[in-house]
Amino acid sequence: MPTPILQVRDLRTQFAADGGVVKAVDGVSFELYPGESLGIVGESGSGKSMTALSILRLVPDPGRIVSGQVLFRDQDLLQLTGEEIREIRGRDIAMIFQDPQSSLNPVLRTGFQVDEAMLAHGRPKRDARSRTLELLKKVRIPAAESRYKDFPHQLSGGMRQRAMIAMGLANAPAILIADEPTTALDVTVQAQILELLGDLNRELGTAIVMITHNMGVVAGLCSRVLVMYAGEIVEQGPVEQIFENPQHPYTWSLLRSIPRVDALRHERLRSIEGIAPDLLQPPSGCRFHPRCPFRIEKCFHDEPRLQDVAMGQQAACWVMMKRAREEMGADKLIDIRPGAASGVHPGEIA
Amino acid sequence: MAAAAVSSMPAAGASGAKVLLRAENAVKHFPAGLGATVHAVDGVSFEIREGETLGLVGESGCGKSTLARLVTQLLPVTSGKIFFGDVELTKLRGEKLRQYRRQLQMIFQDPFASLDPRMTVGDIIAEPLDNFGVMRGRKRNARVQELLSIVGLNPNFNNRYPHEFSGGQRQRIGIARALALNPRLVVCDEAISALDVSIQAQIVNLLEDLQREFKLTYLFIAHDLSVVRHISDRVMVMYLGKIVEIADSVETYASPKHPYTKALLSAIPVPDPRVQRGRRLVELTGEIPSPIHPPSGCRFHTRCPIARLPTPCAETEPPLEEKRRDHLAACHFSSDV
Repeated sequence: MPTPILQVRDLRTQFAADGGVVKAVDGVSFELYPGESLGIVGESGSGKSMTALSILRLVPDPGRIVSGQVLFRDQDLLQLTGEEIREIRGRDIAMIFQDPQSSLNPVLRTGFQVDEAMLAHGRPKRDARSRTLELLKKVRIPAAESRYKDFPHQLSGGMRQRAMIAMGLANAPAILIADEPTTALDVTVQAQILELLGDLNRELGTAIVMITHNMGVVAGLCSRVLVMYAGEIVEQGPVEQIFENPQHPYTWSLLRSIPRVDALRHERLRSIEGIAPDLLQPPSGCRFHPRCPFRIEKCFHDEPRLQDVAMGQQAACWVMMKRAREEMGADKLIDIRPGAASGVHPGEIA
Repeated sequence: MAAAAVSSMPAAGASGAKVLLRAENAVKHFPAGLGATVHAVDGVSFEIREGETLGLVGESGCGKSTLARLVTQLLPVTSGKIFFGDVELTKLRGEKLRQYRRQLQMIFQDPFASLDPRMTVGDIIAEPLDNFGVMRGRKRNARVQELLSIVGLNPNFNNRYPHEFSGGQRQRIGIARALALNPRLVVCDEAISALDVSIQAQIVNLLEDLQREFKLTYLFIAHDLSVVRHISDRVMVMYLGKIVEIADSVETYASPKHPYTKALLSAIPVPDPRVQRGRRLVELTGEIPSPIHPPSGCRFHTRCPIARLPTPCAETEPPLEEKRRDHLAACHFSSDV
C-alpha cells in the first residue's frame, strides 16, 4: 500500500446551538491515497460536507474543530497559522462547491478569476493568463479565448462549474475536493462534468474527494467510498465491494431505496423508516438503531466501532449484513420497521 | 358531495382506457420584455388516462412546470384546449372553474415554502375543506385526523406547526392537503426532489399506496428519470416546450425512439459500479437553446447526434406520431435512434 497523501484522524467538528452542542463530525478517521478518487456519501446532516470543510479549515461560524488531526505531507493542517493554511488552500488542496453561481464573483471576468487563483500563489501575471486559457480548454470550455472575457452570468451553469474546476486545477493541486459539484446541474450536464473529473483524475493524477448524496455518481467515478451517518463513518471500502456486499444495514438499505434507471421490472422500493436523528441528542448506542430492522439489544447501548469485514472494507455494526442475511432473512424482508427482522422491540414509527 | 355534479364520463382513449385529461395543442407564451416572447410550452397534445401515472421529464427550462400549471389551470393557456373528461377547462371561468379545481390537486417541490408557517397542520390540511365549505366542526376535525393517518402521521399532530416537522413529514402534510377533497387527478411537481434519498423512497411508496387505495391518477413531474420511470406507467419527455416522446415506461428505456430520450437515459448514473462503468454516455453538443428563439425545424437539431442538416431536421418540424403501438415520438429518423 502506498503512503497516504492525506490522513484524517479522529476529527471532531461541533456547532454550539440552543440547548447544546451539535456534533456534526464525530470522530472521523480516513486516509486518501495519491491519485485516488474517494467518495463520501451520506444524506443531509450526515457530516459529509463538514468533514470536507474541516480539512481546509473552512468550517463556518459558529462551528469549531474541537479535536483531531489532518495530516498532509507530514504536517497537521489543524495546527497551521492562518497564513500557512492559506498557502495550502488552492495550491495543494483545492475545493469546488455545489453552486458555481455563488462561488464566482459576478463583477469580475471569468478568466481573470482563474488568473487570480494563480496570482494569489505568486505566479507572474503573464504566465497566469496563458495557463488560464490552457485550463479553460482542458475543462472543455469551447471558444476559450472569448469565454475568458465573459462575466459569470454570461455562462451557463455547466460552463460556470467547468470554470470553477479550471480554477481548482490552476495550481496543479495534489487534491481536489468536490462538494456536490453536480447537484445543481441538469443530468446531461452532470454526466459531462463527471466524465471530465474522471479524465482529469486519470490524466493529471489529482486525487479527488467527491462529496455526494448520489450513489450513482459514486459508482461511476470513485474507487473507494466512505458512508457517513449522523456524523460518523459507518462503512468504508472499495466501491465494488460496498455496492455488492455492503455489511452495514444503513448502506444496504440505502442501496435498496433508490430506483434504477435500468430497471426492467417494477419492484417496490425498500425505504428506510423514520427520520435522520437529531444531532443535538444523538441516539445512544448505534446511531442507526432507531431505524434499523436488524437491531439487537446491544445496539441500544453500546456504540459499535469500525471493524474489518473484508479486504479493505470496514463497517461499524454489531450484527452485520452477513448475519442479517443468514439468520434474519434480510433478502426476503418485506417489513422494514425498526427491529422487525430481529424481533427486538419492533416499534411503531412516529 | 357537489363533486358528483361536475364529474363526467371521460371519452375512450387510444388504448381503450378512459381519458381523464386531454391537452390539445396547448400553448403558453410569456412576454420577455422588448417584444420578445418565451415559448415555454409550444403546442403540446397528450392525454392522461384514468388511474395511470403519467411521468413528465425534461431538463430545467423545458416547460414541464408551466405545463403542470396549465393542466391545473393555475395559468391560462395562450391558445389550445385542456379537457377534463368532456369538459373544456380552458373555457370555464370563475366559480365554475373553481368547482373543477377540487378534482385537480397539486403537490409541490418545496415542503418548506408550500406550507404556511403560521398555520397549524390541522388548519393547513383543512384549508381546502374550508374553502369549499365541505365540512365544519367535529366532522372537519375528524377528516383532518383521518387524512393525517392516511399519510402515515400521528393523527394527534393536528395542533402542531410545520417547523416541528422534517422535510419528509412536511411533504406528507402537503399530500394530506392535496387529498382532502378526494381529487381525481393529482399533479406532483418535483414532489420528492428536495428530499433525502431514504425519505424519497418513503414518499414514492406512499404515493403508490394512495393511488391504489383512492384510485388516483397522477401526473408525476421530475427531472430524475430513474424515479419517474419507477413510479410511472407511461413517460412523457419534453424538450424546449415540445413533447418529443411518450411511451410505456419500460419501452422508454428498452427502445427509446427519440435521440434526446436516449441521451437523457444514458446520462443518469446507475448505482452499480460494474454496470455504470460499462455504460456509454450519449454526449450532447452545445447548450440548451433559449426558449425565446427556439431553433427552426426540430428544436433538438442543434444538439442532436443523428440530425441530418439542413434537410430535413433544421427545416421541417417532425410531428409527434405513433412509431409503434402506443409509442409516440417526434423525430424524422426515429428508426436510427
